[in-house]
Amino acid sequence: MKRILIAGESGGGIVSTGEIVARALKNLGYWVVTEREFPSLIQGGHASYSVSFADEPLYGLSQRCDILLSLSKIGLQSFLPRLIDGGYLVHGYERLSGIQPELAECERRRIQVVHVRSREKAMELGGTELVKNMILLGMLWKTLGLPLPALESEITQQFGSKPALLAVDLTCAQWGYSAVQQQKSLLPPTQNPPLSLLTGNHAIALGAIQAGVRLYAAYPMSPSTGILKHLAEYADAYNLIVKQAEDEITAVSLVLGANYAGTRALTATSGGGFDLMTETLSLAMITETPLVIVLCQRPGPATGLPTWTAQSDVHLALYAGHGEGARVVLSVSDPADSFTLIQTALNISEQAQVPVILLSEKQICEHLYTVETSSLEAFPIERNLTAEPPVAAEKPTHGLRYQLTESGISPRWVPTKAPSVFCANSDEHTPDGTLTEDASVASSMYKKRIQKLNHIRDHLIPPPEYIGPPEPNIAFIGFGSNKNIMQDVISLMSIKGVQVGYLHFPCLSPLDTKAISTLQEQCKGRIHLIEGNATGQFGQLIEQHCGPLFRGKLLKWDGRPFYQEEVIEYIEHYINS
Amino acid sequence: MNIKNTQHTVLYEKNTLVNSYETQEKITWCSGCGNHAIRNALIDALALENLTQQDVILCYDIGCNGNEADKITANTLHGLHGRVLPLAAGVKLAQPNTVVIAQAGDGATFSEGIGHLVHAVRSDYPLVFLLHNNHNYALTTGQPSALTPCGAKRSATDGHTPQRPLHPMQLIMSLEPSFYARGFSGEREQLTELIRHGIHHHGFACVEVLQSCPTYAKEADNSYYWERIRQIENRTHYDINSYADALILAHEDAKNGTFHTGVLYTNTTQKSEYLHYQSTRKDLSTEPWAEVTPRDVSPLLARL
Ligand code: SF4
Repeated sequence: MKRILIAGESGGGIVSTGEIVARALKNLGYWVVTEREFPSLIQGGHASYSVSFADEPLYGLSQRCDILLSLSKIGLQSFLPRLIDGGYLVHGYERLSGIQPELAECERRRIQVVHVRSREKAMELGGTELVKNMILLGMLWKTLGLPLPALESEITQQFGSKPALLAVDLTCAQWGYSAVQQQKSLLPPTQNPPLSLLTGNHAIALGAIQAGVRLYAAYPMSPSTGILKHLAEYADAYNLIVKQAEDEITAVSLVLGANYAGTRALTATSGGGFDLMTETLSLAMITETPLVIVLCQRPGPATGLPTWTAQSDVHLALYAGHGEGARVVLSVSDPADSFTLIQTALNISEQAQVPVILLSEKQICEHLYTVETSSLEAFPIERNLTAEPPVAAEKPTHGLRYQLTESGISPRWVPTKAPSVFCANSDEHTPDGTLTEDASVASSMYKKRIQKLNHIRDHLIPPPEYIGPPEPNIAFIGFGSNKNIMQDVISLMSIKGVQVGYLHFPCLSPLDTKAISTLQEQCKGRIHLIEGNATGQFGQLIEQHCGPLFRGKLLKWDGRPFYQEEVIEYIEHYINS
Repeated sequence: MNIKNTQHTVLYEKNTLVNSYETQEKITWCSGCGNHAIRNALIDALALENLTQQDVILCYDIGCNGNEADKITANTLHGLHGRVLPLAAGVKLAQPNTVVIAQAGDGATFSEGIGHLVHAVRSDYPLVFLLHNNHNYALTTGQPSALTPCGAKRSATDGHTPQRPLHPMQLIMSLEPSFYARGFSGEREQLTELIRHGIHHHGFACVEVLQSCPTYAKEADNSYYWERIRQIENRTHYDINSYADALILAHEDAKNGTFHTGVLYTNTTQKSEYLHYQSTRKDLSTEPWAEVTPRDVSPLLARL
């Protein structure tokens, strides 16, 4: 695995440069994971884009980098400490006297400095200041020892719509490539199965289309906005209705109304927007209307760290909304399961007529990952609709929309498309939807709705997944993006002779406790929690169900995802003590 | 003074379609409440338009009017306080060929729901919106709403409403709606016709209904309204397609405390209706409710 860190100022072309690198590497057959760190500004402030790549499956993130591509002085100064000894620094800074201490450090740490005066050269070749990034890209590519055409074709992809600029971009990239002496490839490419490179948000948008979503309504909020952007792009091709609503209450109300009327609609937001949606979540519970909300997490409270990552809205997803009822909380871990779990979420929501909250995280939402194209599986659509609803004997005009059944799930149909009428009532109601305040009816309806959880848990949710050897020295339980870091850590630690296990939950609630019992039998007293929040929210839920369980908790709440080094340090500390 | 017969002339009672909307459920509104007549006018309008249960979905807010949701044999969706407009818009987007009627009171619409109202007018969703304007929060026992006249006696105040009211037509006309009508619960036949006009309108059809609430808005009984109501047909030099005329009317009614009734404004030239602008769905004859089928995105995935 090698890691390139592109550093510079926010708005200085970091993202487009990073994406070109990521795509060009993917096209050469590498597995790629990216990470973007940027302040919540459009311009200014230092930012970085890292591209990790490997000739075998690669999941997690590391803090160190092998190559630092610096687009500005501030980027060089801020990120040099992350460059490994013996690594490469590619930069185009002109006034070398201004970075004497850094250059001295490079010499001390045997860092190879690859340098040209990129801004001057870019102007000379007919470009603007920003085109210097292309010279630096060419230099980076040669440093990596990779063939130029792969880079050229990605630059053409990215800037093809502006032919005049494209010509200069290509000239600059070619010049940068030739300015560096021939290198042997740092990591030769190998044959891999077909890979796709996409973000979690992109995968959710495509999964939603695959699953028959016809209407998407949302209010812009980082890090969920990408879903809106992608669906708007596909709206023409797939005849979608994509509505940027005036607020999140409107977005979720539009979705609920559309789902009642028989289509599949979807919304997504982040924590603050989700807060506004909770009243409607409660409406979905009593009217038993399917509703899927994608909750893209970032650190709070309030505005918090708007452009950083977190796993801190588990409690929000589990408990938001007044009253009691059934709901499902799922969590994605990467773009591959973002594509499949959005389909699962939409299916469960219709099969059981409950709200489903699909958690994602900024790290997954906005970052590019390679996934095996074949793992982006399409599931059949499950709607659980009936064409001929049963009717009440004493009121034959009304369908028994809330009929009491063993599972608690009642017949549902598309209103106006069946002979009997469909009354969806936010007041407590009888099986035909008529308002009631009768104690025994109210009690049985209330129970019926909650009871659905048993059926959901036993038949509908994706099961927990255990990764690692049986009887490990140490095991973790977690959800979301932690699966990625744990997969890398499991193989890295096994080289060191430490057996690490990880039990991953794609469904947080209702909780499947069987897998936890099995894990407990195998490594009692050696189970730890890994979560991207300060209070171990999912761990609290687990211990509510299973009793005291965790020997220790690896928690992180600084807006950054987990890095390999941190998890390894935690494990080594535990093993040695 | 323009005093009219306040007795209901029940024209359509024997119509089987009218009967099909009736239920055995006991209606829970106070006797003398304007909601009875609004409900009858609505059923009459649906029957006169030959709309069956398969043609219409009724959406309700929370308030006295919302208690109709299970007291009518129709497909209904009873939502949350203030939120009926986006809820009904969602229904309409899923079933564009179905007539969707949203009902809410003045309390919900001009407080919690005011943002939704503004954007529903702006989006020009093809809905009929029946605004039950009874000048108070009746279901919560008579607190002043944003439309309660200043000084009117209401609960939860020191006896009299301290603030000046909003005037619904003035506010909505400022948003350039495509349709505005005003009726009165004491004039059921006219109200029926206004609802029918609303059903025919392509776009957001706002029908304000002056609704008597003898329990909590005691000052505004039927005679109060009859004294203040003016028929729009009697206004000279008034063009219902003129935005300028409608703005002046809204301003005058607000200033004089009068209520012109009838279809007060329609814009037939400007096409702003949200569904109309869905270029993504041009030339499509299906409706979203019937389109929930798998779409193969694998060619896209292979290219990423
Ligand atoms: S309180 Fe007023 S609005 Fe409510 S039912 Fe009674 S009269 Fe009608």
